[in-house]
Amino acid sequence: MDSNNKKQGCQRGLSLSSVERVLMATSMGALCTLTMINVLVRYFTDFSFAFTEEISVVLMVIMTLVGASHAFATRHHIAIVFFVERFPAFRRTAARLAAVSSLAIFGLLAVYGVFMTWDDYDFEVTSPSLGVPQWWYSIWLPVLSTLIVLRLIGVLRKGEA
Amino acid sequence: MDWLLFGIFAFLMFSGVPLAVAMGLAGTVVVAASGLGMMSLPTNVYTGIAKYPLMAIPVFVIAGLIFERAGVAATIVRFASAVVGQRRGSLAIVAILVAMILGGISGSGPADSAAVGAVMLPSMLKAGYPRQFTAAVIAAAGSTDILIPPSIAFVIYSLLVPQASVPALFAAGMIPGILSGMTLILVAWWLSMRHGFEANPAEARPPFWQSLKDAGWGLAAPVIILGGMRSGFFTPTEAAVVAVFYGFLVGKVVYRTLGWKDIYEVLVESAEISSVILTVVALASVFAWASSTLGTFDHLAKAMLGAGMPELVMLLSIQALLLIAGMFLDAISIYFIFLPLLVPIAMHYNWDLVWFGVVMTMNMALGQFHPPLGVNLMVTCRMAGVSMESTIPWVLWMVVAMAGTMLLVTFVPDLALWLPRVLGYL
Repeated sequence: MDSNNKKQGCQRGLSLSSVERVLMATSMGALCTLTMINVLVRYFTDFSFAFTEEISVVLMVIMTLVGASHAFATRHHIAIVFFVERFPAFRRTAARLAAVSSLAIFGLLAVYGVFMTWDDYDFEVTSPSLGVPQWWYSIWLPVLSTLIVLRLIGVLRKGEA
Repeated sequence: MDWLLFGIFAFLMFSGVPLAVAMGLAGTVVVAASGLGMMSLPTNVYTGIAKYPLMAIPVFVIAGLIFERAGVAATIVRFASAVVGQRRGSLAIVAILVAMILGGISGSGPADSAAVGAVMLPSMLKAGYPRQFTAAVIAAAGSTDILIPPSIAFVIYSLLVPQASVPALFAAGMIPGILSGMTLILVAWWLSMRHGFEANPAEARPPFWQSLKDAGWGLAAPVIILGGMRSGFFTPTEAAVVAVFYGFLVGKVVYRTLGWKDIYEVLVESAEISSVILTVVALASVFAWASSTLGTFDHLAKAMLGAGMPELVMLLSIQALLLIAGMFLDAISIYFIFLPLLVPIAMHYNWDLVWFGVVMTMNMALGQFHPPLGVNLMVTCRMAGVSMESTIPWVLWMVVAMAGTMLLVTFVPDLALWLPRVLGYL
């Protein structure tokens, strides 16, 4: 259903779009499988597999941010377009405002996300259940926020917004 | 500062900026302006979504989608027609029953409406129902989905109101959800009688046992989800993930309808739907942190309580407010925007927070098929090729009936609270 508008929508972004889709499907599949293994292991053995929750959670974070990027390109984010659609004269300005505002928040997240990750690295923070360096997890926020920023620049430049 | 927060948020939201961004940016501006420290921005976003309870969202989304793709809906339709038989309005009644059963697998209204619409729309049109009526019935039926457990709306409510546990809310939604479905069946039947729809039955009644056998695979899914949770063996998330793998096996081995390509599509689509929801959750946490640090909602709640309204007037005006909001926004966004304000008010009056969640969610359900902006109605109107305005003569009856059910649950809280109390969740 949305493969149609993807085909016309982002010729140039086609490769990025398909990479995003593969990442989304992989993280979704992995987090379902991990949770299922968790149930099976607990049922058949006394062994606790609960420490994998930490991995599931980071997979969910990755899926959310990649999916958010994809949804900016396909315009699937929840927005109230009721008023904008009543005033066609402002539609273009509104679309641009939407893209610029999104760019602002994810740009800030990318920049301050780097500081957050640096703090985790610098203070050698370790994760609560697996005990691995926390920055392995937190780095995804700035990295994927940067992806979203690039996505939004693409949307703005293509003049769709 | 309070006004700055709301002013920016309202301006951005009404200009069509994605809701998540509007909340995040309004929160950020206030954080920057009042010198609360910009490092709270990435920290709140990260910890806002890196939470294990939120896992229920992607897993319930994919559970619903995989059963839809496996073609379970068609077998349930046959089973429901065998139960209902041939009478005036039987197809409309079947559509509502199917939506209610599918509601026991998936947790979101628009997805349910689309699934039921795809199966029921062609046969209802063939049997001579007007397109407008058909779109209205399916949209209204799909709205019971967020009441009948499992429901993503309740998962989010529980996240924001920890006093109300997910199992308690799921149990509390059961009777109001079934009651809403029954009310809709009555309205659809009455309208069909009045207008003489389906005077000549189109298809023969399917044999009961055979159709039950075919539908059994699908009907077992809600049993697995709810039974697994009830036995205390699974958490809600685990119950849903078991349902996902069960649906995968049914589609792959039993019905042989799911190819690997379909499964890939299901993974991508469910990831996108979940990430749209989770983006709101992530950025709303900035807004929530800014407002709770500033005490914005406490000030506002105090002002509202200070007006000295009687309890009943307050309750009814909250319902009116939610009804209006429900026409413009989806349930999840409404929880994030209004709950910080409404929970202190509810606590002031000692309202039961599980019951309050059910009443609030019934409001959201109503908003899902209420013109001009009900999301379910948008979906079904697009499928039926009619304008939303043209459905008003039909859909208004259903809106009124469902509002009646909602008032009933408002004034008889036991309708919601009896089941969770019996099951020991309260």
